[in-house]
Amino acid sequence: MSQSLRPYLSCVRSTLTAALSLSNFASQAAERHNVPEIEAASSPELLLNPLTVSRNAEERVLVEPSVNSVRVSIRIKQADEIEHILVHKFTRFLTQRAEAFFILRRKAVPGYDISFLITNLHTEEMLKHKLVDFIIEFMEEVDKEISEMKLFLNARARFVAESFLTPFD
Amino acid sequence: MADFNWRTLNIDALDPESAYNFDLTTLTPEVQPVSSSDVQTLSGQVRQILRGGNAEAALRGALENAPYGADEQGKAMHLSVVTEVLGQIRQAEMTPLLQRMYKDDGGSELCDTLMKYLYKGMGQGHPSSASGSKNLTPQATGFSQVGGRNFGGGEGGGQAMSVFLSWHEKLVEMVGPGSIVRVMSDRRTV
Repeated sequence: MSQSLRPYLSCVRSTLTAALSLSNFASQAAERHNVPEIEAASSPELLLNPLTVSRNAEERVLVEPSVNSVRVSIRIKQADEIEHILVHKFTRFLTQRAEAFFILRRKAVPGYDISFLITNLHTEEMLKHKLVDFIIEFMEEVDKEISEMKLFLNARARFVAESFLTPFD
Repeated sequence: MADFNWRTLNIDALDPESAYNFDLTTLTPEVQPVSSSDVQTLSGQVRQILRGGNAEAALRGALENAPYGADEQGKAMHLSVVTEVLGQIRQAEMTPLLQRMYKDDGGSELCDTLMKYLYKGMGQGHPSSASGSKNLTPQATGFSQVGGRNFGGGEGGGQAMSVFLSWHEKLVEMVGPGSIVRVMSDRRTV
């Protein structure tokens, strides 16, 4: 793991651990409704100060806590256009299957590549430290995945170009 | 007559009794307003102490007098001073310094203020989070997300961020996650 990745991930980990203190909270606007307050934004008193953890200008995590839900948005490292396309395809693949991931949000917050929405139901059903571990692991894996895909893509492009140009040799 | 869509009206906003119009100032402890010139004087003093070589006293002075009542400009000014002081302190000196600060009277409050500045410092540098979506060009293919992102210089600010990150690590090690919770829930922002 690179030198600056470890403090970044540990910072995200402690921030998430602190932010995931959620309780059941029924909507104040409509009776018998129970909505994630960070999405509804129906009462400003229930929203807490959003926190940003950044590794550099291009890689950061936004944690927006509220009384019964936390929205975690991740901006994934993208060094060039190819990585940008790969990240877009990858996150699109995941968000289209959002039901299978439970905490994945269908649409990323503007300025970020992928968002998670964790509500009090999730923290009641699942173990809190496992949720934090999942997000940390996701952040570790996604960088690896993207650079691996980029390598494969380049290798494939080279192979295709070679075999295309052999008849003219 | 009907040039607005009444379905999009937020009727809660019109009801003074609704939670939507909750008065947030009732949750904020009393802070007296601080003018920008006062902040400037304070930053001058802090910088002077820092130049004298006493980084710990400079940090203490900056954190004890955090301008909660200042406007955005004043807060940004104070943040830059705190960033400067934090950058001056070497990695090996962080933990003993924090321990000394934490043990003193009101030390935990200073640590909370420091935590606020760490998050604020990491949150700056990209003020408009929606800036990436401005120059999107929607196409008939529906493939609209590519583009609108500036590459190069992506590692910019990495140096300053790693300072914040290592301070954050040391601070959390000592004061625990409670400090982060206080940063989230304190309505007095730095």
